[in-house]
Amino acid sequence: MKRVYKIASESSVILYFGESIDPAVSKEVQKAYHALKEAKVEGFYELIPSYASLMVVYDVLSLTFDGACERIESILSHANTLVEHASSIVTIPVYYGLDVGLDLELLCEEKGLSVEEIIALHVKSTYSVYAIGFAPGFAYLGEIDARLATSRLANPRKAVPKGSVAIADRQTAVYPAQSPGGWKVLGRTPTAMFDATYKGLSLLHVGDSVRFEPISKEMFLRLGGEL
Amino acid sequence: MNGFLVQNGGIQSSIQDMGRQGLSDIGLTQSGAMDELAFGYANMLVGNTLNTPALEIAMGGVVLEAQGMMRIAICGANMQVMCKEKVLALWQTHILQKGDILRFAFASDAQFAYLAVEGGFQTPYAYGSFSTSLKEGLGGIEGRKLKAGDFLLVLAHQNVGEKRKIQKAFVPSYPEEITVRLLKGYQEERFDAEAQRRFFGSTYTFKGEGDRMGYRLSGEKIVPSVTGILSEPICYGAVQIPSHGEPIVLLKERQTIGGYPKIGSVIGVDCFKLAQLKTGGKVCFCEVSLEEAHRATYAFYDFFKKIGVC
Repeated sequence: MKRVYKIASESSVILYFGESIDPAVSKEVQKAYHALKEAKVEGFYELIPSYASLMVVYDVLSLTFDGACERIESILSHANTLVEHASSIVTIPVYYGLDVGLDLELLCEEKGLSVEEIIALHVKSTYSVYAIGFAPGFAYLGEIDARLATSRLANPRKAVPKGSVAIADRQTAVYPAQSPGGWKVLGRTPTAMFDATYKGLSLLHVGDSVRFEPISKEMFLRLGGEL
Repeated sequence: MNGFLVQNGGIQSSIQDMGRQGLSDIGLTQSGAMDELAFGYANMLVGNTLNTPALEIAMGGVVLEAQGMMRIAICGANMQVMCKEKVLALWQTHILQKGDILRFAFASDAQFAYLAVEGGFQTPYAYGSFSTSLKEGLGGIEGRKLKAGDFLLVLAHQNVGEKRKIQKAFVPSYPEEITVRLLKGYQEERFDAEAQRRFFGSTYTFKGEGDRMGYRLSGEKIVPSVTGILSEPICYGAVQIPSHGEPIVLLKERQTIGGYPKIGSVIGVDCFKLAQLKTGGKVCFCEVSLEEAHRATYAFYDFFKKIGVC
């Protein structure tokens, strides 16, 4: 797959691998991200992957734009022969109760589905982490079943509770901390998404696979969940 | 214990260094000093290295009580800092004694002032930096702006260094009209020749809409040929143009990814000038080549390197 190098700033280059949310494009981004990360290039300060692009922030005092691009290209051209990065499958327990699934009833009405059907559609897929952003550890997961695809709330909440599992468009995510937000909330997880004690700080990383597993309220509370 | 007892935290004061690195891929913002020039000068004056945490004071209003003898320097916006009924001059060192009270009034010329102390503040280190990220609530003092009752620890010094001062010729001025250099990139082709002509030919006004994350500018509206793009990584200085047509320059506490089209990026060393622009100030953009942008950046950091701060 061809990649396009463009200037982002005097100290960063952005690589485009495509223009849409596409598992194949995302795979290319992930492969490049992991190859560059493993190469540990001195002077590459940041590697930021997203859906179809990857940015490399470099030390402008030791690298030129062309020099940075050549370095990246030489690593990536070899990466093409590497096996795909082995990503982990992370299971996230979710309590899908009406007391925490703040928009479950709204979604039932909007989609003409029962709560059980919505939960079943949400837990049946294995999702891929396309990007992390918005807040530390906030992972954009795709894609949810088309029958669940939904718009954002017209009036975003000022405070979405920590651990809220939510959907918007064809994506799903967990709010790592209480924050404002407009995604529709289905449930809540007791699992921390971002924690100083985690290796790599964030539970999820770009390229990981994620499954949601329904749990009871009792289990949610036993695992440290807060209502 | 030496340090400062905070009697008043002011409008928004926070501990900052040069920011976090290497964690944008899990969504952590860079953060760090909004004006690296004033920040760097303050550290240089008290003999610190460039990446030593200092107190960033936005707008002013801070009152601090020294708990011991310290050598300090204050650089940046002029906040008429009073100590023992005298105004402390900016851009030079001062020796404080136990019990001295520093009162920062409100800046009229720029936005940020930096208080550096010899040896640096010994505040908590989080995720590779001392910087406070206010939006994320991490780093610095509990991830928030200072408030009355906070204590800023400083290692006690037996001997304080000599008096130092930045030569007048090197002291920056904070004009009300600035021109910042922009390197085209990202979705520049989404802005046609007419849109670009208007963008580079206009004077924008900073109406105070902004914070450490970024500044929105008011003026000539530019319409890109797309309203949104697939969310992609955002760099320091990126100029995004949402559907309202007015540019937003993303600064130190920017989000790591976002979905608005961007015409390019203000070069880092000019972002410091923009950060200091007072409300009502005017901004023009001028295009630079990649070579010029690199030269300007190199000159900036090389200066600190030469004087032994880097």
